Amino acid sequence: MSPSPASHRREAGLPAILAAYRSGGRGAWDALMDTGGAVRPVWQSFIDHVAQIGASALQERFARADAHLASSGVVHRVYGDSDGVRPWPLSHMPVMIGADEWSHLAAGVIERAEVLNALLADAYGGSDLVTRGIIPAALYAGSPEWARPMVDASGDVKQPLRFYAVDLARGPDGQWWVMSDRTQAPSGAGYALENRLAMARALPDLYRHLQIARLAGFFQNFRSHLVSLKRNPDGRLGLMSPGPLNETYFEHAYLANYLGFVLVEGEDLVVRDGALFIRTVAGLQPCDVMWRRLDSDFTDPLELNTRSRLGVPGLLEAARRGAVTLANGIGSGLAESRAWMAMMPALAARHLGHPLRLPTQATWWGIDETARRIIHDRFDELLIGSAFGAPLPGIGTGFAPGGSLGVTDRAALLARLQNRGVDIVAQEKLATATTPVFDKGELTPRPFVLRVFAAFTGSGWEVMPGGFARVAESGDVGSVSLQRGGRSADVWVVSDQPVQAMSLLRGTDTPRIRRSPGALPSRAADNLFWLGRYVERTEFMARLARAALARTAHHESFIYAAIAATLTSWGALPQFTPLQPPAPSELGRVALHGETSQSIMALCRAALNAASIIRDRFSPDAWRVLNELAAMTQKPLTETLPEVEADDRMRDVLRVLAAFAGLAQENMNRLNGWRFLDLGRRIERGIGMARLIERFASDDPWACDLLLELGDSTLTYRLRYVDMPERISVTDLLMLDPANPRSVAFQMDRIADHLASLPQTGAHAAAGLAAEWQAALTNADAHLFDQALPGECAAGLLRLSELIIVDHVRPNGAGGNS
Amino acid sequence: MRYSVRQTTDYTYSEPVPSSRHIIRMEPVTRAGQEVVSHRLTILPRPSERVEGRDFFGNRVTHIAIDGPHDRFSVTVEAEIRITPTVTDAGGEDQSWEAIAAAALSAPMIGPDAPIHHLFPSRMVPIDTAITAYAAESFLPGRALLAAACDLNARIKSDFIYDPLATAVDTDPSHAFAWRRGVCQDFAHIMIAGLRGLGLPAAYVSGWLRTVAPDGEMRLEGADATHAWVSIWCGDQGWVGFDPTNGIRVGTDHIVLATGRDYADVAPLDGVIWSATGHSLAVAVDVIPVVEHDLDA
Repeated sequence: MSPSPASHRREAGLPAILAAYRSGGRGAWDALMDTGGAVRPVWQSFIDHVAQIGASALQERFARADAHLASSGVVHRVYGDSDGVRPWPLSHMPVMIGADEWSHLAAGVIERAEVLNALLADAYGGSDLVTRGIIPAALYAGSPEWARPMVDASGDVKQPLRFYAVDLARGPDGQWWVMSDRTQAPSGAGYALENRLAMARALPDLYRHLQIARLAGFFQNFRSHLVSLKRNPDGRLGLMSPGPLNETYFEHAYLANYLGFVLVEGEDLVVRDGALFIRTVAGLQPCDVMWRRLDSDFTDPLELNTRSRLGVPGLLEAARRGAVTLANGIGSGLAESRAWMAMMPALAARHLGHPLRLPTQATWWGIDETARRIIHDRFDELLIGSAFGAPLPGIGTGFAPGGSLGVTDRAALLARLQNRGVDIVAQEKLATATTPVFDKGELTPRPFVLRVFAAFTGSGWEVMPGGFARVAESGDVGSVSLQRGGRSADVWVVSDQPVQAMSLLRGTDTPRIRRSPGALPSRAADNLFWLGRYVERTEFMARLARAALARTAHHESFIYAAIAATLTSWGALPQFTPLQPPAPSELGRVALHGETSQSIMALCRAALNAASIIRDRFSPDAWRVLNELAAMTQKPLTETLPEVEADDRMRDVLRVLAAFAGLAQENMNRLNGWRFLDLGRRIERGIGMARLIERFASDDPWACDLLLELGDSTLTYRLRYVDMPERISVTDLLMLDPANPRSVAFQMDRIADHLASLPQTGAHAAAGLAAEWQAALTNADAHLFDQALPGECAAGLLRLSELIIVDHVRPNGAGGNS
Repeated sequence: MRYSVRQTTDYTYSEPVPSSRHIIRMEPVTRAGQEVVSHRLTILPRPSERVEGRDFFGNRVTHIAIDGPHDRFSVTVEAEIRITPTVTDAGGEDQSWEAIAAAALSAPMIGPDAPIHHLFPSRMVPIDTAITAYAAESFLPGRALLAAACDLNARIKSDFIYDPLATAVDTDPSHAFAWRRGVCQDFAHIMIAGLRGLGLPAAYVSGWLRTVAPDGEMRLEGADATHAWVSIWCGDQGWVGFDPTNGIRVGTDHIVLATGRDYADVAPLDGVIWSATGHSLAVAVDVIPVVEHDLDA
């Protein structure tokens, strides 16, 4: 007998995970279960399937999804938190939506995008709707987002909106309502992709079995459209981000990598003669299409917010001339004003000739007498908020129920309503429907909000068949925000039709990693170079500290002290009394976690910081390794660290760094990015080796042993020389032997190779210096070895490091460069 | 009246700046009550890019880029301007301020002269409860706008102390208001904040005053640099200027350089220099009345 929906009726005995499921609780509409307690059809297969898996196996599978997210480094940033970065909170239940319902939603989202675009086009192109008396001038002029410098610009004015998101909630009757429009720089689409990958990993068979719409086609079509907007065949596509401190920076890097855009920040860009360029290691490269993820006001410190350090001086001039197309256009955030919510139903009906398919949450704007009276009379039961985002007494820039305000704020707001009602909006509270989350082994209904994305693709709008849902952590819809502890959920659009219904879409959601789209931005080169230096330096410090900890016997205490002194002079250990090096337990702890700028963990953090700025340059595997390193830096610091454990920690660091080096070697294409990373490593390794030789080269066997150990060349030495180690042969092997990958000469050869392969900028100081040193090391004879050579060579490498930056990272000369 | 204006703004950097980009708003335009007979902008060192245009409010702006190291940057404007007294007694003086406020909000206008731009909080002038309450003392229910505005203008002149050391170019109006001190920019911002708090459109005007007062008259404050005052939208009468620093209506001693919502819109010079160096700044202004030879003007 095949199971029928009726078999899941309460009385017929529900699966265990549903045993305690209560539909809503407050009588609200629930996505999973109807008021009769029956599982809704769209959930049926899903519930059957997970019931079969069973609660404990399910938990394991969900842990797999979390592990995937954690190891991929999916994070979001919580403002006002000292640590800042949090793991990605995934709700393991998708939000399920049937295909019929979805097509209704999608049509509603598209018509709304069209209306908003038409209004924005009017706001930036003539404002006919105002002068004809159809909308009040305040609808545009009241908003700080109305970018006056862009009004009547000659550039692209027909399509100020190309990427749009809308937040939807279900009312108590299951009806979808529009809660807000996102027209500035909507976030969440990239996180939706990550959610999808994690869910497909947790429930692979179910994901294959159900007809779930794929997401990749949406992104491909949006990308193709942006590519079609290029004016210059050599022009680059950029994704403009505010940088790593932004809440959604992870997503910026992820999408740039996924779509093959250059991830840029303001300082990567420069305007020359009204056109936009990216500063790269091969000089300025034109950029004529930009996916803008930076709020408009910060994009140009000359014409907009003069305090912005994130923008590009002159960008607006370039945009006005049409030399660059921004998606979305400057000032598109205008349509996010809450005053627009009040006007949308009437304006949309006028534009479309019929009412909006998706109703807008009831909103009143205090510009007119009728609305002011309603707001006044129903003040306590409505949500009161700012019409254009300027802070209001007792409320700030958000929303608050009128009834929750204190006496003073209430009076101030009512007075404001009379003087300047135009600043105030009020909204009906919406009791939201619930969707299941998996909590403590069973399913529980929670309020949720759905974000749906739409992209303009040339001929019209396309809706991403899925979305980004936020589920409240409690029964209160206010806690849907991830900033307030909510979780995010994948959205599954399920069809009961065979697969060909989705045949226009690509069959896979696996991100296609496109590597190094064109020339490397200078800032990325700079950070890769320093990442290489920090990684190598970390390795040196760890090797030194381990060498010290391996020499704690009494008869070796002078060697221990000499190494400790070296660590101090290199900044990894603080100064200590000359006769009293730190005890081994102390040395390990301080070398790892000490407060000096060169302690192993401080160097790891510097490396991670450099890496975070160029997040888009690394494969997910490389990120997993870097995240492992990050976890190490966060290990709790104990009062003392037993030598064995300190040694373990250092070996872990070395292991992870080796893994990272391996991945960089194997997986980074041998393009300029890899060359800068490797240049950094070679410079640092050369400096470290030369300084060790300067410090320790002598005929004492212990010193020769130490040098060979630190130079990872003990085995090579034994294979080559049968004698006891002695100064001349050790120095030859570590300093001059071009075949030993640890020798200074080897590093110099690699450096010279890299410099010859980088894009030529006309500056040759670095290459010249490298060639001089190559010759000097080739001609040096270990038997006639000049004692000053290692020290001079280390200084030469430091100078080389500076010249590489001058010649290759900032190759455009003084003009226009920081 | 005919004036010859010359202003030089001189930046000296402590170390050479490799390159820079600026917006200059230092040249006046012909507008109601004033005719710009001639104007010239001299920039040193010579810019590598120079583009002239108008901003949203119709002010003349020059975008420039200087490529190559420079340790000095100077801009000199020279202009000849003829000021004709505007007729303000065109009737309608008795319109109540509430009626003007309602008209400003409902006018189907959004061009550069529209009142709507000057009704909302702007970058440097938020709506401020305390300043609004201060202004409200002049704006009794039903009072004529011009009379109330004259009263507020006079109160600011008498209640506040002119003190160039008290505030800086980025001082928040609420602070200057609490200290009851400041310069023309602060007094203009305070007056604007009070008027907008009441729902009245008020614009920020930058410009020049004649440097030397006619015989027997007090020299006006603000003549040694760019001055600032307030323009209020008065319905059918258009925009009327008030100078709260001197407690007077704007007359033929005032030359308009630029108008906007607050100082941020009209700053004579905005710029980005690619350097972390310090700088010193010197500004010199001369506004000399010119004897009119062509008396038919």
